[in-house]
Parts: sequence; structure tokens; C-alpha cells
Amino acid sequence: MPIDFLPILILLILSALMSGGMVFLSHLFGRKEPNPSKLSPYECGIPPVGDARLRFSVKFFVVAMLFIIFDFEGVTIYPWAVIFRKLHLFGLVEMGVFLGVLLIGLVYIWRKGALQWD
Amino acid sequence: MELTLFVIFGAVAVASAFMVIVSRNPVVSALFLILTFFCLAGLYVLLNAQFIAALQIIVYAGAIMVLFVFVVMLLRTGKEARRGYRLIFQKSIGIIFVVLFLLLLGSITLMVSVTGMRGPYTAEAVRHIGNTQAFASVLFTDYLYPFEIISVLLLAGIIGAVVLAKRKR
Amino acid sequence: MVPLSYYLLLSAVLFSIGAVGVLIRRNVLIMFMSIELMLNAVNLSFVAFSRFLDSLEGQVFVFLVMAVAAAEVAVGLAIIICIFRNKATVNVDEINLMKG
Repeated sequence: MPIDFLPILILLILSALMSGGMVFLSHLFGRKEPNPSKLSPYECGIPPVGDARLRFSVKFFVVAMLFIIFDFEGVTIYPWAVIFRKLHLFGLVEMGVFLGVLLIGLVYIWRKGALQWD
Repeated sequence: MELTLFVIFGAVAVASAFMVIVSRNPVVSALFLILTFFCLAGLYVLLNAQFIAALQIIVYAGAIMVLFVFVVMLLRTGKEARRGYRLIFQKSIGIIFVVLFLLLLGSITLMVSVTGMRGPYTAEAVRHIGNTQAFASVLFTDYLYPFEIISVLLLAGIIGAVVLAKRKR
Repeated sequence: MVPLSYYLLLSAVLFSIGAVGVLIRRNVLIMFMSIELMLNAVNLSFVAFSRFLDSLEGQVFVFLVMAVAAAEVAVGLAIIICIFRNKATVNVDEINLMKG
């Protein structure tokens, strides 16, 4: 029932209020006396060189992309698990075929070296 | 109560969807898209589809947005060269046609009442057996074949993405 | 209970915003996000129909749409990365050659 989710909604509202409120209150009451050395990224140390937004390597992307596929695979197991006892052997074979096909994909990316980091 | 929540979630969803398409910075667009997904998850809970709501958070707001943010970071080029394409004609015609399309959809929605064969899963019945259980018993029996096809689709996704994105040595 | 037509109208509005996004933006990433927005709008109407027709088929369709979206996002973003590697741009108007 939707009413069961009311605590989650209240939690979300509270966390938004707290994090937003802290930022807002410190903005409201904080003293603002900027000077050049306070505004620099490192108040003591070497002056920064270049932009902070470096481009990430494509390796991160390949891992993230494989993550969404296997994330969805994991999500399909949840509904299967709640009625596993009702489906008996039929459910086991069904999920076995599903996972087997995705296992081919895992073997493929493994052999292709997409999981290697170097 | 339910109407209030619907209005709040719907208004935030529409506003953040609007921000997705107008903001200049793709990172801001991605973050507003996450907000839209969360609002839709709230609407799914209101519609008594709790499992789909959880799925929305896990798959869309979790995984797909991680990927989007990664790609936005990957493609950041510093100053992107602005070319001279203004496309005023295409943009104005596009907006006009989309508004007409929206009017068409809206008028259909308001004029036609939905009729159809009602299934056995009333709110009472679903509450009795549990949303995830009911969903699973439909998915794993009546929709067995589409379910198995999903695995082939995901396999094609894996292979396609690895082939396209992996740098050749 | 909130009437079905409210949900369908909200879904139509979200779908139209996504369509506008595809038409007016030239950044391929934002166009892709607009496509995701349109998929989600359709999902919303599927779930609404499933609720108001007392049937779970709509939710099963949403599940399938999410699988398609996951595979599509992986391949689509890989294509975007390929394009970016070759042409160093995310503006679709500059990707105007069939070959490389």
C-alpha cells in the first residue's frame, strides 16, 4: 500500500530540509570577508595549474556500462526469488537459461580483456 | 492526500524535465533528469506499483544516471566551440508541432473514456498476495518468452558496447 | 483516487517535453536524455493503465522497457564515445558525414 511508504517520504523531506537548511543558514549567518589568498584552492602550497575538470579515461566508462547491464540482471533475480518456491524446477530452469545467456556475455568480455584495468 | 502528492510529484517532474532540456550544462541536465526519475518513482508508489518504483530508482536513477554522468565527464572539452547554426526555423516549427501534438494527446485523454477488459489484480488482491509476488507470478509464467528474450537483448548490449567503446590495441 | 486522465495528461506533457528536447537541442547527450524522458513518460502511462484496469501486464511492459533502455543506453553512449573520438564534437549538426 502507498501509505506504507510514508516514512520514506518523510525521511526524504527531512534529509532535504536538513542538507538544504544547513547550506542556507550558513549562507545567511556566515561572515563573508573574501580576500585573494582565501579564495585560492590551496591557501598554502603550490598555485594550481590548469582546469580541475580533467577528462576521465574511457576505462571508467566501460566498467560503468557493464555495471548497468549486470545491475539489471541482478534486479531480475529479485522477483524470481520471492516466488521461487512456487515455481519449483520450472523457475530454476527458466532463470538458468536467462543467466546462462548472460554468462556468455561475461565470458566474452572477460576474453576480450574489457575487465582489465591497465 | 493522494491528489496533493500527485500534484507535488507531477509539478516537480514537469519542472525538472523542463530544466533538463533548457540548461546549458549537460551535468545540470543529468542531475535534473535524476530528480525527474525520483518523482516518477513517487508516482509509481501512488499507483500501487511498488516494485516498479524500486526498479525505477535502482535501474534509472542509479545505473543509467551513473553512466550519463561518466560520459559527460568523459566528453568534457573545456570550451566547446560554438558554431553558427541557429536553426530558428527548425526550432520554431518543432515547438509548434509538439504543442499541436500535446493538444491532440490532451484532447484524446480528456474526451475518450478508457474501457477495457479488467484483470484479476485489483488493489485488494495485490495487497493480499504482495505486489512483487503478483508481478513475479505474471512475469515468470505468462511472459516467460519475453523474459528470456531480455537476456539476448542484454547480451547484444554487452557485446555492442564492448566492441564500440574498447580501444583497439 | 486520482483520475486516470490526470496521469495520462502528465505523461503526455513529459513526452512532449522530451520531444521538444530532441528537436531544439543539438548536444547529442541532451538529445539522448530527452529520449530517456520520453521512455519514462510512456512507462508512466503503462503503470497508470495497469492500475486502472486491475491488471499487471502494464508493469511487465515497464520491466521490458527498462531492459531495452538499459541496453540502449549502453550501446548509444558507446556510439557517442566513438563519434567523439573521431570528430571531437557532441554537436549533431557537425556529424554530417556517413563515413568517419
